Amino acid sequence: MEKPSLLPLLDARLPLDEEKVAEAARLAGIPLAQAWGVVRYYPRYRGLPQGRLLVDDPVARARGFPRLLEKADGTHPPLGLEALSPIHVRVEGEKRFVEWEGRLVPFREFRLPFALGHGNRLLPSEPIQELAQYEALGGLVFLRRALENLLAPGAILEAVEEAGLLGRGGAAFPAHIKMRAVARGEAPRYLVVNADESEPGNFKDRFLLEHHPFLVLEGTLLAALATGATRVFLYVRDEFEAAILGLEKAIQQLEEARLLPVPTEVFRSGGLYICGEETALLESLEGKRAEPRLKPPFPVEKGLWGRPTLVQNVETLANLPLILKEGPGSWRQKEPKLFSISGDVAHPGLYELPLGTPLGEAVERAGGDPKGLKAVLLGGAAGVFTRDFALPLRYKGRIPLGAGAIVAFAKEVDLWEVLLGLAEFFREESCGKCFPCPLGTAVQVEMVRRRERDRDLVGHLGQALKGSLCGLGQSAYWAYQSLLEVEDAA
Amino acid sequence: MRLRVNGQEVEAQEGTLLLEITDPPHLCYHPHTETRGICRLCLVEVDGRLLPACTTQAQEGMEVRTDTQELQTLRRTLLEWLALTTDLGQAPSLLALLKAHHGQPQRWGKLPLNRREREPIRDNPFFLRDYAKCVNCRLCVDACGDGIMGVYALALEGRGLMAHPTTPLDRPLPETPCVFCGNCLQVCPTGALRPLSAEV
Repeated sequence: MEKPSLLPLLDARLPLDEEKVAEAARLAGIPLAQAWGVVRYYPRYRGLPQGRLLVDDPVARARGFPRLLEKADGTHPPLGLEALSPIHVRVEGEKRFVEWEGRLVPFREFRLPFALGHGNRLLPSEPIQELAQYEALGGLVFLRRALENLLAPGAILEAVEEAGLLGRGGAAFPAHIKMRAVARGEAPRYLVVNADESEPGNFKDRFLLEHHPFLVLEGTLLAALATGATRVFLYVRDEFEAAILGLEKAIQQLEEARLLPVPTEVFRSGGLYICGEETALLESLEGKRAEPRLKPPFPVEKGLWGRPTLVQNVETLANLPLILKEGPGSWRQKEPKLFSISGDVAHPGLYELPLGTPLGEAVERAGGDPKGLKAVLLGGAAGVFTRDFALPLRYKGRIPLGAGAIVAFAKEVDLWEVLLGLAEFFREESCGKCFPCPLGTAVQVEMVRRRERDRDLVGHLGQALKGSLCGLGQSAYWAYQSLLEVEDAA
Repeated sequence: MRLRVNGQEVEAQEGTLLLEITDPPHLCYHPHTETRGICRLCLVEVDGRLLPACTTQAQEGMEVRTDTQELQTLRRTLLEWLALTTDLGQAPSLLALLKAHHGQPQRWGKLPLNRREREPIRDNPFFLRDYAKCVNCRLCVDACGDGIMGVYALALEGRGLMAHPTTPLDRPLPETPCVFCGNCLQVCPTGALRPLSAEV
């Protein structure tokens, strides 16, 4: 049953003390023990580390991390800023800033630079943050049609199926199967937009939220109409404040224009990597510790408050208006995918490329030279190192694409340093619910630290992690195993 | 209803848990609590997928394997990691399992992040909370809360390897809703919660 979620009640009372926690628990109608478990879970309720913090991402790890760390008071998890260079965040009390080109920019004003590289170009080539601007470029046509009953929910589902759209969050599950399952479920049904991008090396969702809020919202509302969802939540990474403010403004503009058929709200994420795992995300929305649920049942059957729920990634939903505009057949031929390309390339940024593009060509588009690279990390932390530059970037290929991060590393980079960063990331982000993940990720850090190459040991580490409850633990060793393969091939 | 377990045909009732018709090791499952599928020791292979036997119901035609090479490695490794990080001195059944799986915890090297350093908490006359021995299976939290008592004197603290049960606001137990019913002791599989009467 739907209850007030604890997280916004706690957010409104920051900084917390015991009385405020007890008050929030009372208002949420839950035992103090449950509220305390939540407070002792999310970093922002425990108190943020203060001072100048180095963003700990693969690029910083490749640029002499210990030396960079000397000039910082601690580390901060990745923020989707990896495109550029090592970066710092400053936290003073509850205020947070990004150190950007010598200036302190408050989080609420900081957007990723609009760095859209050349590619297939279904995405508009300029930021569109105003309703009139979006409409002038042909936006909202399909939402209006749907609202005027000129575009039936079934037709939207058919278009998505015909286009063969696969989920862009990393799992690549066919979008129409999830949508149809929810549409068949009993009312009330919900739609949750997974906008908790926290994967090192990925910044495509952040980019869409900040620069194309109306595209994301139109796709979301089309999906809501197609599935008969009666409420929409956008679960947005807590640190993306500019995106949150932009989305709230866009929602208000749509409402004023009578183009908001379903109540839609932004929910501030718990701010952890695990919050992007769809069932952990739902727990978090319900005001609990963001811990993955056992599956089955899947969210399409029992999701938010036990109701059929469509949880879909930002990029997946942003494709709905593009599919309808382009026509599913033509869209399918182009198969556009957003790639976050960063690291040792001349023009890091976001690239829209057709699926099937060879990895080497993607790197070259961003101004990188495959011959000068030691390897790329494909897919992010839950990704793999590879130097197979002929590899076509496809979902069903040999190597998982994940959400589409490509981080390039020059010949002189020590990839074990990068791997250590990833291993520490997994150890820090493990929720601790099941046994293999917290144990295995902690063991893995020490193995990487001593550069353990024993195949049996690494194989057994992977075998045990594979038994984890969710994708975080299940994928935590992929980069490790792949680095050994890259070394063997060299 | 018929299914195959390790190649043998087995007859089972609709809705039976695989744990009831197979015999994998398990730790976090307890029939009186909601805790399920956490320890992963009871994972079995069902039609090629790894699933916890404690949450998976038998279905017609299922192909179940409980003891593949992969599952043996998984269980052995998990038991080794538990022994590496946690004091299993009061968990004879886990130590026996470790031995049966030919576990060698030392092959993983040293782990600086460790549960063993935790000091026991003596904040009441009845029992000890010795979190150096806690594997974070949550049985006690569940028994105290949703599962058996509905008292909610235990909460969860932290994330990752060092996550463990605590009390609301980290208060001493007598200052919580605890009624000292002893259910948490009853379900604890590792001796992390044990009666003071048993201490010499």
